[in-house]
Parts: sequence; structure tokens; C-alpha cells
Amino acid sequence: MLSSFFLLAETTGDVADAGKAIALALGIGLGALGAGVGIGNIFGSMIQAVARQPELRGELQGIQWLGFALTEAVVFYGLIGGLLAYVLV
Amino acid sequence: MKRLLAIGTTLFLALPAVALASVESGEEEKFNPASEWTLHPWVEINIGPIDMSINKAVAYLLLGTVVSCVIGIVLMRVKVGSEPSKRQALGETIYEVAQVQIAEQGLPTKAIGRWFPYVASLMVFIWVVNMIGFIPLPLSDEKWKIWGVEVPTLAIFAATSTLSVTLALAFMTWMFTHIEGIRANGVMKYLKSWIPDVPKALYPLIIPLEILGQFMRLISLSVRLYANMLAGHMLILTFIGLIFLVTPWIFPFSVLLASVFYLFEVVIVVSIQAYIFAALSAIYIGSAIEPEH
Repeated sequence: MLSSFFLLAETTGDVADAGKAIALALGIGLGALGAGVGIGNIFGSMIQAVARQPELRGELQGIQWLGFALTEAVVFYGLIGGLLAYVLV
Repeated sequence: MKRLLAIGTTLFLALPAVALASVESGEEEKFNPASEWTLHPWVEINIGPIDMSINKAVAYLLLGTVVSCVIGIVLMRVKVGSEPSKRQALGETIYEVAQVQIAEQGLPTKAIGRWFPYVASLMVFIWVVNMIGFIPLPLSDEKWKIWGVEVPTLAIFAATSTLSVTLALAFMTWMFTHIEGIRANGVMKYLKSWIPDVPKALYPLIIPLEILGQFMRLISLSVRLYANMLAGHMLILTFIGLIFLVTPWIFPFSVLLASVFYLFEVVIVVSIQAYIFAALSAIYIGSAIEPEH
């Protein structure tokens, strides 16, 4: 089992490039995972809040977009980290 | 709806033209969307070791400055009449967003007069620079021949998708934050306001974290804007680039996707990022002037 694993690693050629590609994909993918949950939470709470107190919509909207952008940026930190791994290392 | 359809069709036709133009110039080149971010100096200016050359990003910045000045003059310097014209209404909307949504949310009342101009111009300037980044302009580094004259290809590029620009903007906010904090509270009181209410035993752990946190603000503020614009442009370029990477016949599919991302960026991301940058600047400066405890 173990020997076949090593064989696989030997036969795939440019392992460094593969590692970089995996780093890039993981950077974006895991970042998007967290941000997806967060953005869903924000808009879910916004819907609830507006459903309960529609008159607060205007005030809440500013906070909502602030939270949205702060959460969304998490993906891009992952993306930048992945790109750094891909380009520089 | 009609207008949206028209915009969509124009984009559908215009976007591959950009890509097809680039294929004429470098035929055997391997397609790489990242090559759009290598900045070649147009006019070399070197002051000592500092490279001040004018390149694509600088040209976009200068253009953005001019456009935001024009927007300010045209929309704000209107004769206020009893019947507001369209110009006045638009100007008032922008002013109201800057005043109500940004300045009043972040800044304490006594500081609004001093810092409203800064946050408002940040908002307008970043919005304009982001926005002209999505308009195809003949400012790229690649050239192609049209009737014997070398013309730069139409390309989309935002100055805010280079880290230097956003870092400079963020650094400005960061410096103002500390200057205002010290001016309003005095050095010791301001530095003390960084430390939250925790038991004294936790201080060795908390103080380095809080100092690090101040620098992280600088990074998060700049990287947020930079990475958003970079990712937007990269996505659009990559989807168009599928024409060269896979097969030319993929273009209806890839250009449609690129247009969708284009509209998403133009309609939502551009404005939100400008708003966020200005709002966070206001919040940072405000929280330095009036620490919460």
C-alpha cells in the first residue's frame, strides 16, 4: 500500500508544480468555504431583521454591506496567499 | 430591462475583440492573464533610488484624478434652484451617501467637519478609479497595427488592482488615524486606549497582539481593495482566455460568463469596495479620536 503511494508520487513528474497548483486551489477553496458560511449568515440575519422590523431597513443596509465586504475579503486573502505560493515559491 | 440587454449585447461583442486584438500582436505567446500586471515604464523618471516612472497604473491614476475632479465640479457646483435638475439630484445623492452612510456612521460629530472631505473624496476617487478600470481603454502595453499606425489595444486594467496604489491609500488613512488619535487624546492616553479591559495578567499576551492588530489594519484595508479588483479582472481575463487555451469555439460560453462577472463587478463590487474603504477609514479615524473607554 505504502510502496504504491510512493510509486505514484514518483511517476507524476513535476511534483513542485502540482504542489503549487494545490496550494492555489486550497487557498481559494478554503477561503471561499468560510466566506460562504459568513455571507449566508449575514444575509440570513438581515432577512430576519427586516422581517421583524421593516422600518429599520435603511439603517441596517449600511451595516449589512459593511459586514458583507469584510467577510467577502476573506476569500481574497486566501487567493493572495495562494497566488503568492504559486508565483513566488 | 431594454438598456440592460443592450449593455449585455455590447459587452458580448466588445469583450472578445479585446482578446482577439491581443492575439494578433503576439501569436505564439502562451496566454497568461498575469502578464497584464507587469508594468512597463512609459516615461522613465528616477529620483535617486526611487522609481517614479510613468506606467499604465500611473496613467490610470492620473485619469482617475481628472475624472473625479470633473465629477466634483460638474455635480457639486450647480446653481441650487427651486426645481432640482438631474445634475443636482445626482450630486446630492452622492453627498448624502458620503454624509449619512459614511461620515456620520464612523466619525464623532465634532470631527465630521474636519474629516468629511477626506472620506468623501476617498469614496469618489476609489469609485472612479475602480470604474474606469472596467471600461476598455486604449492604454495597454500591447500594440497592434491599424492602417499602418501602431495603436495600443483596448484593455481593462484598474490602478487599484496593484498593491502599491491601495497600500498608499491605506497608509494615508493609517497615518491620519494615529495623528488624529494623538492630537485628540495625547500620546499616552491614546496608546493606552489600544489596550482593552482585561485582567492585568493577560497584558503580556494582549499588548503585542493589539500592536500587531494596528499593523494588520493597514494590510487588511489595502489587500481587501487590491485583491477584490485583482480577482475581478483576473476572472474576466481568464474566461476570455479560455478561447486560446481550450478551443476558439468555446467563446459563446466563456464570453457569456465573462460578461456575467463583468456586470457583477461593475454593479456591485466597484461601489461596495469604494464605500467600504471610505467607511472603514471613517471608523478607524473616529475610533482613534474617541476611544470607546
